[in-house]
Amino acid sequence: MEAQLKKYRISSAELDLIRAQLGRDPEGVEWALYSALWSEHCSYKSSRRHLKKFAGTLKAGSQGGENAGLIDLGKDEKVIFKMESHNHPSFIEPFHGAATGVGGILRDIFTMGARPIALADFLCFGDQPTDKMKSLYKGVVKGISHYGNCVGVPTTQGITNFHPAYQKNILVNAMAVGLLEKGQPMISSKPLKKKSLIVYVGSKTGRDGVHGAAMASESFGQDLTSKKPNIQIGDPYFEKLLIEACLSVAKENLIECMQDMGAAGLTSSSFEMAAQGQIGFDINLDLVPQREADMEPEEILLSESQERMLLLCDETNLTGVQKHFAKYGLEAVKIGDTDPSRTDVKLMWHGKILTRMEPKHLVDNAPMYDRPYERKANAVQSEKKPAPWPHPALREWIYRQYDQRVGTRTVRTASQSSAFMILPSGRTLGVALGCDPWLTNEDARTGAFDAFMRPFLNLTIKGATPKGLTDCMNFGNPEKPFVMAQFVDSVETFTELGKLLSVPVVSGNVSFYNETEGENIPPTPAVGIIGLAETTSLPFDELKSASKQVYLVKMPLEKLIEQKENLPEITDSLRNWVTENKPASAKLLSRRTWRESLISLCSERSLILEKSWEKQLDFPTDLYSIVFSVKDEASANSLKAWGQKTGFAVELLGTAAPGSQLRVQTQDILAFKDWRSAGRKSLEAWGL
Amino acid sequence: MKPIGVLTFPGTNCDEDVFKWAGHLGNEPKWISGQDHFEPKDYEALLIPGGFSYGDYLRCGALAARSPAMEDVRRFAQAGGFVLGICNGFQILCESGLLPGALVRNEGGLFRDDFVQLRVTNYFKIFPHLSDDKIVRIPIAHGEGRYTVDPQELKKLQDEGQVWLSYADNPNGSLGDIAGISNENKNVFGLMPHPERAYQPWMDSEDGRFFQWKLSSKNIV
Repeated sequence: MEAQLKKYRISSAELDLIRAQLGRDPEGVEWALYSALWSEHCSYKSSRRHLKKFAGTLKAGSQGGENAGLIDLGKDEKVIFKMESHNHPSFIEPFHGAATGVGGILRDIFTMGARPIALADFLCFGDQPTDKMKSLYKGVVKGISHYGNCVGVPTTQGITNFHPAYQKNILVNAMAVGLLEKGQPMISSKPLKKKSLIVYVGSKTGRDGVHGAAMASESFGQDLTSKKPNIQIGDPYFEKLLIEACLSVAKENLIECMQDMGAAGLTSSSFEMAAQGQIGFDINLDLVPQREADMEPEEILLSESQERMLLLCDETNLTGVQKHFAKYGLEAVKIGDTDPSRTDVKLMWHGKILTRMEPKHLVDNAPMYDRPYERKANAVQSEKKPAPWPHPALREWIYRQYDQRVGTRTVRTASQSSAFMILPSGRTLGVALGCDPWLTNEDARTGAFDAFMRPFLNLTIKGATPKGLTDCMNFGNPEKPFVMAQFVDSVETFTELGKLLSVPVVSGNVSFYNETEGENIPPTPAVGIIGLAETTSLPFDELKSASKQVYLVKMPLEKLIEQKENLPEITDSLRNWVTENKPASAKLLSRRTWRESLISLCSERSLILEKSWEKQLDFPTDLYSIVFSVKDEASANSLKAWGQKTGFAVELLGTAAPGSQLRVQTQDILAFKDWRSAGRKSLEAWGL
Repeated sequence: MKPIGVLTFPGTNCDEDVFKWAGHLGNEPKWISGQDHFEPKDYEALLIPGGFSYGDYLRCGALAARSPAMEDVRRFAQAGGFVLGICNGFQILCESGLLPGALVRNEGGLFRDDFVQLRVTNYFKIFPHLSDDKIVRIPIAHGEGRYTVDPQELKKLQDEGQVWLSYADNPNGSLGDIAGISNENKNVFGLMPHPERAYQPWMDSEDGRFFQWKLSSKNIV
């Protein structure tokens, strides 16, 4: 028994729960089922209790609870989006780990009938360019680029953080955004109470990724190479075909519901569907298309082979479904039936019953822990140092490897702090990310506030209205009360701000156990916010030829936290100023020195600063500092009036002039091209 | 007027973009499945969009070059029909021997997404808006865009005026900065950059509009 518990990563307390459910010990494949579905990764057993709070942020036109979240933008445009982690696999095998992370998040989108239109990524690496870290950095980027480019979805936004605490546990989070085409209803994963066929589509099942979900629910020791067989291999070409085939059966209304096979593969998709629909599932595991001849039922159940989906359809539609998949060279195989008169799942192997199990045992009644949480006494307030943010050349090295325009919807690329994609109505959809580990590490609440507000403000200053949020909650070991406190603080902060600012939290993912050899990562609640703008003429980050006077708006983070209840009014009025005055540029400065932050605005235009700035240039920027360049005096005056009304300082920073220099009056401080070539040093340090 | 055929293979991913662009320029685009034969006489011109046909397995464009539809593209081209291959479409044309040379891994080995400036190195009547020495700005997005060809063939390309477009600032190590070429007969064209990604005001450049072709009687199949 001890050996079984260890093999299947089930605690003895959980075994007692299983015994209470079954009235006996688990047998045969049941071990594997419990192991997978009760893993942290599938059951969210440490987080579920807290994640329920997000429901309070939902409102009309938003929907959670499915594979990804949905926001109705009106004009028959619905957006589906989600962010997800692939941290553990990427640390072990960066290329395939990151690639399959992209593949997995895309499936969450098109399984709902939506066409993926944009990808974004949130990456955290250690700050020391050791050989290991360099290969992780290159491998992850190559993996994302390989998969995203081939599958034909542009990667138009991203954040890359460097922090010593990720040296032994990198983070790879991918976000995908999809669009439901006009008139296309959302495809649910919930079966109807009727007799249907269970159909397996996509790639064959192999041995890759077996026990992947359980692996992702554990901390790492030193022995990493032994975990390589847990890593899945993806094929973006296959995914591209799968996207087209799935969207075509959705469009033709041939299917009842659909679910991708992600973590814990066939097990989670089938048991979760059956539990949701409260309907009996009869599955013949021997009918599952297999890559190898001698696979065991347990391996078939737990395989995390990529590019596979499970769907239900009416018997009369099977030939139609098969025809659509055949058009893309894909198989659609009936592997079982649903039975509305029952609620259990019956797994069969060559006519023999392996188990009959109530899916609610495994899904709804999975353990839910109320783990103790207690904040650590705050670490000594660190001095106001600029976060050692690397030269933007490192970021540029990344996004230049991503196809940013395939699909021809891209209005603003990853070179800008918010991506924008054009919608069929001519409006634009913004995507912005947030989370700064240098802040979260000091205080989880302040850090979570920033993780929410930075993308919120980034969209606002471009004139877009934030519409919905997805998060990827990356934390350490939840069995440690201080880690759990970081998690709870982050959830509560997002919930509070989501309600206050009308930004529903509609989807997300939790990744615990980001702990290696006892060292936990900083709390890293990554946020992706989507927003809506009415136009394609959006201000750029950099100064443009129309830029005349350049203004600095100071919105101190502490003040925003203090005046939380005023946030809706402050941000709405700022957005109104942007849409009415159309500033030539708008940029929320990064946490570098003033010199570094300001020179990055000077690619096409020089910035001539007021004399008083000379002595400040080597100090870090304040959170939050926003630079607007205005086209005329009237715009400037109305911005100043906004400042007076809201109580935030609006100062003249300088003027824009032809060239690409940062100057104080007549004195040259830095040329844009010199700043750019300084980036070569960072690239060399990383072996790029 | 006959429609413009837009070929699509499994893994092609710029097909919708090229279709929309061609339509926007005033053509009447129509899909052609690369996996089947088609009747060349039914089309006025053929476009081969970019992407990762057949997953770029073996070599970029190698499998698509051996597909049934490419036999008909060859007949169309041999009869003087106008064929334009973009990115992976260019690779397919090289792999099928309709254009000389090959496109191999970028110098430095990395995929590269960027806007580039292209110089029109030779004026072709078929592209009336692309006058000699004109500079156009359109995006690239490729991992295997470095053009290479043997020295005799390069000399011939240059002597015969088949080099159509050159990079102002070579992004991938292409031989002779070559971004696009034509065949000897000057009716089959390939280029790595994407004109279909630059034709609307919000696309950062509208220079992709200059690539509208104008056919003469000898291009009618």
